Amino acid sequence: MQPLRIALAQVAPTLGNLEANLARHHELIADARANGAGLVVFPELGLTGYLLQDLAADVAMRLDDPRLAALAAETRGGPSAVVSFVEESGDHRLSIAAALLEDGRVRHVHRKVHLPTYGLFDERRFFAPGDMLRAVPSRLGVGVGLAVCEDFWHLSTPQVLANDGAQLLINVSSSPGRDLAATHEVGLGTATSWRTLMRTYAQLTTSFVVFCNRVGVDESISFWGGSEVVSPTGAAVFSAPLFDEGLFYADVDLGDIRRERIALPLLRDERPELVEREWRRLVAERAGLAEDSTAEGGAPDGFDVAPDDVAPDDVADQAGRAAVR
Amino acid sequence: MSEAALFVLPEELAIDTRVAQRLIVEFIRGQLRQAGFDRAVLGLSGGIDSALVAYLTADAIGAERLHCVLMPYRTSSPESLQDAGEVVRRLGCSSEIVDITPMVDGYFGADGVAGAAGPEGLEAAPLRRGNFMARMRMSVLYDRSVTWRGLVVGTGNKTESLIGYTTLFGDSACAFNPIGDLYKSQVRQLSAAVGVPEQIIRKAPSADLWPGQTDETEAGFSYPELDRLLFWRIDKRRSVDECVALGYDRAMVERVDRMVAGAEFKRQVPPIAKLGPRTAGVDYLYPRRRPGSSRS
Repeated sequence: MQPLRIALAQVAPTLGNLEANLARHHELIADARANGAGLVVFPELGLTGYLLQDLAADVAMRLDDPRLAALAAETRGGPSAVVSFVEESGDHRLSIAAALLEDGRVRHVHRKVHLPTYGLFDERRFFAPGDMLRAVPSRLGVGVGLAVCEDFWHLSTPQVLANDGAQLLINVSSSPGRDLAATHEVGLGTATSWRTLMRTYAQLTTSFVVFCNRVGVDESISFWGGSEVVSPTGAAVFSAPLFDEGLFYADVDLGDIRRERIALPLLRDERPELVEREWRRLVAERAGLAEDSTAEGGAPDGFDVAPDDVAPDDVADQAGRAAVR
Repeated sequence: MSEAALFVLPEELAIDTRVAQRLIVEFIRGQLRQAGFDRAVLGLSGGIDSALVAYLTADAIGAERLHCVLMPYRTSSPESLQDAGEVVRRLGCSSEIVDITPMVDGYFGADGVAGAAGPEGLEAAPLRRGNFMARMRMSVLYDRSVTWRGLVVGTGNKTESLIGYTTLFGDSACAFNPIGDLYKSQVRQLSAAVGVPEQIIRKAPSADLWPGQTDETEAGFSYPELDRLLFWRIDKRRSVDECVALGYDRAMVERVDRMVAGAEFKRQVPPIAKLGPRTAGVDYLYPRRRPGSSRS
């Protein structure tokens, strides 16, 4: 047995009020410690609220901010904590950051790589995307990979983190609930989609997946909670209720990782060198730097599909059209 | 009485009413908390939309914090007032009747005597009078917002907002709207689930501007078929041809398209001429409520 008690802080941050949210984080880390948790996870932008727009710059913290150091100090002697905030870099870029705090200091910072800017999202307008996906060793005895919300809507995120040594994939989210169609498993389309993703990732990476999603309301958007812990077999160990605020505990046995990886050695059988070769080819083809042998005849440089109005015998004309487009 | 007998609900529009109720109740609480209010006021017409919002608001903050204003005009149907009264009685919330007749007649005139609008006001068409009534009701609600110390809760549904069956700065005016993303059919489904009186769910929706007026005879199609078309056309991004393939008459699809496009302006904040370095809504973008904006 390698028991770990995980505390999921399914909170409703106050939008733009860093001081109030910091105080709540201090309280909940203390609660988690008192209840024997080894790890406490807070949601995306739990320290600031989500729909910040131009407030983002006002609530941003540098990594050397004394308020962050004070929060990290809570983790001396346990539990480890994952917290999320707006980080301002030395050159004044703003990122959506998730930090792993351990042993009284900031152990690792992940900056949200995929900033959704479509539909109801407008993140790229206000934030800079992160450029790194790294798994880090942890005092918990397993590698930890951090991701923020939309990062998990890209297969490469869990794949890279697991291959880099993560055995605990932690996704912190501010996921807006939508689509109430009665046909959904739990009455909410967003929840159904996320549950499918997390079970799939846990199984394919043979890792624990920890998902902490906020609750509460920012403007039009309601966040649905439903935080979860999924075991390396893809089975949910714990599911927090939808919409309820609270500090929820899940007990897991990290020994499940070894058992699953021995039984199902998917990571052992990964082919990173093959994946790398194919990605390199794709990148060169997309940039028009290499001939795309698998593209449709008549497709412009960098594209795989020909315009509809180009007949196959019209291909000779294509170079000119491509330039015009 | 089963839900099915009460109203027609297109299959693809059916929602999980428990999740909807929970989400909306949290939304109402969140909106009030962020604004520093704990009370709400709304105009109760006797129709299903405002009845549903009254039930949801009472659920969110307690009936004792809700004030319903009943604002009949002299031609309004007595049944409307009775039905609104029934909602108030069942919820046990605060209420009052404000007769808007003197306000409306004072402007347009009545019984051959001209009002503030002058003699031509006596000849005002029903649409013009209806819009004016809606804006008088808005004025009353915003005044009561001050005396009751509560926010005005919107009661417009998604169907009427999309086709523009609403008065700009009238019934569409509010601090927040809990049901503006629910089609009329979904309003009926949720109303049945939260216990809105059956006679309110059953009766034909009406702007109640003249006796016998109903939304559906004015528009020329039923809510379930309109809702279903809007759902496929807008939420599911189906083309006109694809909607025709779903069984809709092309002329109806094109007419509804024109109604939706023609009402775009009613759904948006008016544009401000961009002149300075930072302009509200353009490149000065803040949440409606933030630290410092609450009253308390």
